[in-house]
Amino acid sequence: MARVLTLLVVCYLGFVQPSYAAEAVIVVANTADKSIQLSRQQVRNLFMGGALPYDLDAVALPPENHTRVLFNTKVVGLTESRIQSYWAQMRFTGRKKGPVELKNEKLVVEYLMSNVGTIGYLPAGMSIPDELTVLYSTN
Amino acid sequence: MKPTKAVTLSIVLLLSSMPNYAAANDQDKLQFSGFTRLILGHLDDKNAEYVGYDNSISMDQQSLIGLQADYAFNNEISLTGQFIGHTGKQRSSGLEWLYLTYTPNKAWRIKLGKQRIPFFNYSDSLDVGFAYPWLTLPQQFYDTAFFSTFEGLLANYEYNLGSWVMNFEGYWGIYDDKIYLASGEIDTKVTGLYGFNTSAAYDSWTFRAAYNQGNADLTLPGAAQFVEVLNQFGFNQSAETLNPDGLIRFYQLSANYENLNYFIRSEVATMVGESGPVPDIDSFYISVGYQFSPYTLYVSYSERDVHYDHPANEIPYGVSSGLDELAATYELVLAGFPDDKTQGTKIGLRWDWRYNVALKGEVTHVNADKVSNDFALKNLGRFDNSAILYQLGVEWVF
Repeated sequence: MARVLTLLVVCYLGFVQPSYAAEAVIVVANTADKSIQLSRQQVRNLFMGGALPYDLDAVALPPENHTRVLFNTKVVGLTESRIQSYWAQMRFTGRKKGPVELKNEKLVVEYLMSNVGTIGYLPAGMSIPDELTVLYSTN
Repeated sequence: MKPTKAVTLSIVLLLSSMPNYAAANDQDKLQFSGFTRLILGHLDDKNAEYVGYDNSISMDQQSLIGLQADYAFNNEISLTGQFIGHTGKQRSSGLEWLYLTYTPNKAWRIKLGKQRIPFFNYSDSLDVGFAYPWLTLPQQFYDTAFFSTFEGLLANYEYNLGSWVMNFEGYWGIYDDKIYLASGEIDTKVTGLYGFNTSAAYDSWTFRAAYNQGNADLTLPGAAQFVEVLNQFGFNQSAETLNPDGLIRFYQLSANYENLNYFIRSEVATMVGESGPVPDIDSFYISVGYQFSPYTLYVSYSERDVHYDHPANEIPYGVSSGLDELAATYELVLAGFPDDKTQGTKIGLRWDWRYNVALKGEVTHVNADKVSNDFALKNLGRFDNSAILYQLGVEWVF
């Protein structure tokens, strides 16, 4: 009986992951070179503080933001807790600093518009000014 | 001059010569942050001690606070100081990090000053419990490195190789302080300390390999005099066995996998101590976790085998009473370096209650084949070589 119960709990836990399949995220940058396209792996590296052939500075949304949750799930592939742990390790070992955090998507667009060489993620449906370039989409 | 003072003085002199020092906008450039852990533990065995915990309930073994100040002089140069206040007996409180960072671009990072030695994956973040899933790091693995900081230079270079992120790190410096064994403190000087490590990350996988070495000179009271006596009698091999000056080398390999639901973390290491009083140590751990946000359930198994060279006694018995005494003393001194072999198995749950606060509960079963009392596990008398440690903890970063 205990085994059946354990199995049921495990199965249940496997299904409680929210389904975000229908919602897409785009990664947008203010860059002079409009031809740049990034792979999911490159976007992940960039937002986890890794080196990239392009000199781009990442900006992020706060932990409770829905677009951030989508981005974590679809691009980074880590839970928010793990991302927070990672940045704590990076900060207190003097290795890397986390991206600048802005309160909402509107502020991200404004920040990108006024800072050349910056990159952020936004929901796919959002209208993007012509000056910005979409470098990656989860669709 | 003690190395810490020399490093501090050179950093201060370097900073005072920088033209923008006085003009800097302190409010924007100075940042404070920190971390704290409150850990409660109880060992179910009154004949043993593990990680400092005994049969009572105590909170003063692993609880600590860390405060960090970062000052950015400009986009490329910053100064970082980190103070740690420990409650545990095996660690001293004080300035653990004090270094200048030079970041000319995103690929390079150069640090000068007092830093943690990057032996293993978590060697430089042992105190930041929030950074790892376990409540106590796999102790059989992380109890291996006796000295944890160095004063010197560290350079890090990162680049992309296709979809892989490759990272190379090298450092060089010295350690001149005490090492803290469960059985006591030993004044230690490690010179010619250097190491390099490389890590390769691809999607959910991270691999790491490291090599470190240093020439350790342990101050063992009485040992130097006894070595002299052995040399006088011509027992050079025995004298060499007790010579506490020698090379220590560390090798590490690690493979980790992590996705939204699962993680596997593993490290294997070998330490080779060339001098007699420094043992050889083989250790590893493997841990598997299941993540169902905001909870992480994990199990872990770790093992450590500490073994000394045991040369045959070359001092003959029955020749004279003086030699008998010398031989007996030699054997008594050698008996002071016993082997140690333990295994740790744990299960635990981490609950990320807030984005910067995690609560953890962990149960560890420690089993011993040989207990030397030099490491985390101590036999207080009639220990049956098996004990369970129960722990609860709060990890907070701010």
